[in-house]
Amino acid sequence: MNAKMKETILNPILKGNPITVLVLGICSSLAVTVELKGALVMALSVIVVTGMSSLICSLLRKTIPNRVRIIIQLVVVAMMVILVDQVLKSFEGTYPLDKQLSVYIGLIITNCIVMGRIEAFALGNKPIPSLLDGLANGVGYGLILIIVAFFRELFGSGTLFGLPVLSALGYTNNGLMILPPMALILIGCIIWVQRSIQKDLQENY
Amino acid sequence: MNTNSNVYTVIYTTVVCVLVAALLALVSSSLKPKQDANEKAETISQILTAAQFGEKSEWQAKGNAAVLDFYKQNVAEAVLIDASGNKVGDLGTADATVYGKSELKAQNYNIKDGSAAKLPVYIFKNGVSVIPVYGAGLWGPVWGYLALGSDLKTIAGAYFDHESETPGLGGKIKDDPSFRAQFKGKSIDFNDPKAAFSIVKGGAPAGKANAIDAISGATMTSKGLDEAINVWIEAYKSYLTKNNPEE
Repeated sequence: MNAKMKETILNPILKGNPITVLVLGICSSLAVTVELKGALVMALSVIVVTGMSSLICSLLRKTIPNRVRIIIQLVVVAMMVILVDQVLKSFEGTYPLDKQLSVYIGLIITNCIVMGRIEAFALGNKPIPSLLDGLANGVGYGLILIIVAFFRELFGSGTLFGLPVLSALGYTNNGLMILPPMALILIGCIIWVQRSIQKDLQENY
Repeated sequence: MNTNSNVYTVIYTTVVCVLVAALLALVSSSLKPKQDANEKAETISQILTAAQFGEKSEWQAKGNAAVLDFYKQNVAEAVLIDASGNKVGDLGTADATVYGKSELKAQNYNIKDGSAAKLPVYIFKNGVSVIPVYGAGLWGPVWGYLALGSDLKTIAGAYFDHESETPGLGGKIKDDPSFRAQFKGKSIDFNDPKAAFSIVKGGAPAGKANAIDAISGATMTSKGLDEAINVWIEAYKSYLTKNNPEE
């Protein structure tokens, strides 16, 4: 693997993380991070959607008429999202999770990360790097989702993946952790931590 | 080729849309049976939870086959009744046929506009009968199941579900076991001049047997559920009171 490819994969996870650096996809990361299980399914769904739609759009990139390219991207993304939703509904194990995530799976369509990566990367690059870029961005998004969900579930419900952890020790659940504002505060904290470690992300005024 | 010409653009978009539509139609129709099976098991597990045969999460963990098996073994009859309480149809127990959300929605229209509604009653071998309720919450439909004892008055349990109520507020009708638990031991009273059953904002008066507390912060959802319950038990009134002629 050459350096450029490594950069394509690592950049969206660390230095160019879609949530903490680009601050995209905030809406869904507030909504689905109450529990780890839901966050994990959401993360996997987004990884599949970003990866596959970047790949498809990259394959089509030379044929897409420039004036309607956004519409075509949207059709591809919407198709992937509906496919993911249909598949989740079909399996016994994922059906309740799909029910729980309800509209948020459908709303992956409006997640800026997906269209953003197609527009910024897939339309100008070969299929394989585009696929990797899409997947890596999905991973970058999912990683933050899981970190936030870990803290929210642990302190909000005292459980991890539905198994009692803190609640077994007599912990009283913190109701604020369950509410969306706390997710925003947690994301703020993650951005803070990341910026104090990666000094080059800090702006100089 | 000039990819920016009008003709090319129109043809290209048309082809892409047709291809995507065909693919989605294919996937949707091939996965439909599986999705229907999941939905049916979900409905049955809700009915079983209402009838106090274990908790919803336990049924989820046991899987679809176990849910269907348990239902088939324990249900005595699944019948359809009309507005005068007479049996007009039989759902049968061999296939575990139940009325799902869409059928309840259709019957809800029938009840509202006064046309002949055919309403399901699931009678279990232990004497518990389960009837569905359906109505409008704040953001979307709310529905659920009331399990009644053999006198068809005492409530043995309940389970509710919703499409898009606010999580943590209206969503509690489904997620908060203590809301559901309030129904246990309460009863339906058709002699009550106000309502046969009520969900009271600010707390039900102590000792009132046909009222429970509403959910704080979810007034509209509570009201919607209250209405759903009353509209539906009113539709079942002849059936529920036919064994108690003194009422």
